[in-house]
Amino acid sequence: MLEIRNLTKVYDDGTVALKNVSFKVEDGEFLIIIGLSGSGKSTLLRCINRLIDPTEGDIIWDGVNLAKLEGEELRKARRKIGMIFQHFNLVKRSSVMTNVLSGRLGYTPTTQSLLHRFSKKDQKNAWEALTRLGIEDQAHKRADELSGGQQQRVGIARALMMDPELILADEPVASLDPVLAHSILNYLEKLNQEDGMTIVCSLHYLDLVQRYSTRVLGLRDGKLVYGGTREQIRSMTDEEFKEIYGEEAQRVTEGLEGSLEEIE
Amino acid sequence: MNSSNEIPLEEERLPSLVPPYIAALFSLLIPGVGQIFGRAYQRGFVLLGSFITSVGLFFWRVMEEGRRGEDLLEKFQKAFTLNSTLIVIAVLIGILYLWIIVDAYLIAKQTKTNPLGILFLVLAVFFIIGWQIGEINPVALVSDLDEAADPLSRVIWPWSRAVTYPEELVIAEVDIQVPCTDDPPPELPPETPGLPYISVDPTCGSLSDQDGTVGSELTIRGKNFDPGEKVTIRWEDPIGNEFRQRQEGAYVTPIPDEDGTFEQKIIMPYRLLPPSATADFYIWELKAEQVASVGAPEASVELKLAVEKIIETIFIGMMATFFGVIIALPVSFIAARNLMSASKLTLVLYYLVRGLMNIVRSIEPLIWAVIALIVVGLGPFAGILALTIHSVAALAKLYSEAIESIDPGPIEAIQATGANWAQIVMYGVVPQIIPPFVSFTIYRWDINIRMSTIIGMVGGGGIGFVLMQWIRLLDYRAAGIAIWFITITVAILDYVSAEIRERFV
Repeated sequence: MLEIRNLTKVYDDGTVALKNVSFKVEDGEFLIIIGLSGSGKSTLLRCINRLIDPTEGDIIWDGVNLAKLEGEELRKARRKIGMIFQHFNLVKRSSVMTNVLSGRLGYTPTTQSLLHRFSKKDQKNAWEALTRLGIEDQAHKRADELSGGQQQRVGIARALMMDPELILADEPVASLDPVLAHSILNYLEKLNQEDGMTIVCSLHYLDLVQRYSTRVLGLRDGKLVYGGTREQIRSMTDEEFKEIYGEEAQRVTEGLEGSLEEIE
Repeated sequence: MNSSNEIPLEEERLPSLVPPYIAALFSLLIPGVGQIFGRAYQRGFVLLGSFITSVGLFFWRVMEEGRRGEDLLEKFQKAFTLNSTLIVIAVLIGILYLWIIVDAYLIAKQTKTNPLGILFLVLAVFFIIGWQIGEINPVALVSDLDEAADPLSRVIWPWSRAVTYPEELVIAEVDIQVPCTDDPPPELPPETPGLPYISVDPTCGSLSDQDGTVGSELTIRGKNFDPGEKVTIRWEDPIGNEFRQRQEGAYVTPIPDEDGTFEQKIIMPYRLLPPSATADFYIWELKAEQVASVGAPEASVELKLAVEKIIETIFIGMMATFFGVIIALPVSFIAARNLMSASKLTLVLYYLVRGLMNIVRSIEPLIWAVIALIVVGLGPFAGILALTIHSVAALAKLYSEAIESIDPGPIEAIQATGANWAQIVMYGVVPQIIPPFVSFTIYRWDINIRMSTIIGMVGGGGIGFVLMQWIRLLDYRAAGIAIWFITITVAILDYVSAEIRERFV
């Protein structure tokens, strides 16, 4: 179980990205965080695995307060938290295989990994992960030779290599077209339902939110302004919508197929 | 209505602080001040600065040209007589002065004026002064061309100096009895087939004397000499002194014909015999010497030296690049802002290293070589040191900029896997920086080879050292060989490095 308590993040330049955010994520949930660009979604996700150090607050994961960890302990804790990024964040000049195997770095002794040596088991698992995502024939290509959808699958394969219990996905489909977006989220759903991984994902599109989430949180200006289940989001009121997206936002279609479009 | 669409010639100004004629008066006293009071600050300061500078430079040139003059007036007279261009400069400065006054008046009157004319005048003044200071003299390009043509042609096509023919001194000699007596004169030596041989007729005679008595005439017949090469005729007196045979004020140098034979008549020379020479006769030796080339042509000393030195040069560049890379690699990480901005301490280190590198880089390798050879003495090591120092500074800058421009995304992703610092660098940073690093390294290698060709001029080893030496010895052919070698080497490396970079990046 993941529990966030009173999380606050103030950047060095004084920007307040998160204000006193608290919520709980039960194991096996597919939690989606919505909100405008700059609402603090990315900061929140990065605080959970401490890519960004929170200013205040606690992050309790399996009874351990991640916010207080340092050095070796923090790295050990990170190994169980996979992460997927909007821009895939692959090492473009390395091969797909190297990118996938780098997911094992937390488990591999430094000296071995500096020589690019990974265990037979890791290599086998890497093939399996690539096969599962349908890109095994791309394994020896350079990462930047792949299309966007393929690159995101490599990103997922890298996260899978960590054998994670929690996956953080920072707008994983924002750089992809709608068809690819569904296919990527399908994979995440499979991981959630078949492998029982907890998923915390930030998204822009409400139709995707309604289709995949088990629970939804809304962030606005660093504050938690909405919380609801999959059922509740279908009956989101205009007030709630405007609470998340601001007065100027307009729902294109009412209710179920609600989508977001900003107007001037 | 359309006023907003018009592009103004210059910025809108507030009204002048002083009336136009006062502004003109200000600029009359100090050029440019009128413009400043007319609120054309930039123009005012530029004009003031350039007027003061040009007048200052003008006076310096006048003092320089007229330094023999007693007082100021005389100096001006001398300067203007010796160098009429100074008059042109004086006139232009005068025009500039008047123009600035008029300009100040117009500006204070809020008239739109185009600054291009006055800027052009300022530029013209500086151009002419620059021509004077630079002692630019296009006539020198052609005036001594006939004298320069010969050494130039030797530099351009130096290859006759690249080979030497092994030479051998061949000597044929005959005993001559001085003077002739009743005794039979010496017999001619036996003849060996194929070897140079001379016969003299007769083999005795008397020397020329102080009182005008002309010596005996001898006829020398030579054979088996190299055709076309000069033969030197030499005497050796009984006590072993050698001297060359002269005739009518010139050395006697018969040239053998196509068969290798020659015939030369000589008058026996004047020589004072010491009082102790009381014997009836003495035996002198008459020699015919020829420098004959034997065997195939060989590489000359200069060619061998040039080859040795160009190899040394290439290795100076290579070793300097090698050391430069090794040192620059760790330094570049300290000089990368994105890696060093974590804490105040590292940031201070970053600024220190960056500052030091900038200073080191601004000093040319040739100057570093002079400093290095104070420490380690003449030779290639000084050159390597100098190029290494400069390479470290240049590479550290280029490398650190490559590090600064890397994509933070992959690093974040690797960090999220629980990787430690070394793993993050190896998997997130290194793959991103290798291509630019390779490119910069080859680029630097190219530069270092280029630099190593001239670093020898100050004593840093390599071909520059012998090139400078040959130029000073006026051995233009040898210098030409060195220049050819440098050109060919640099051209090849230029091509090779471009090829490698294209393949790699």
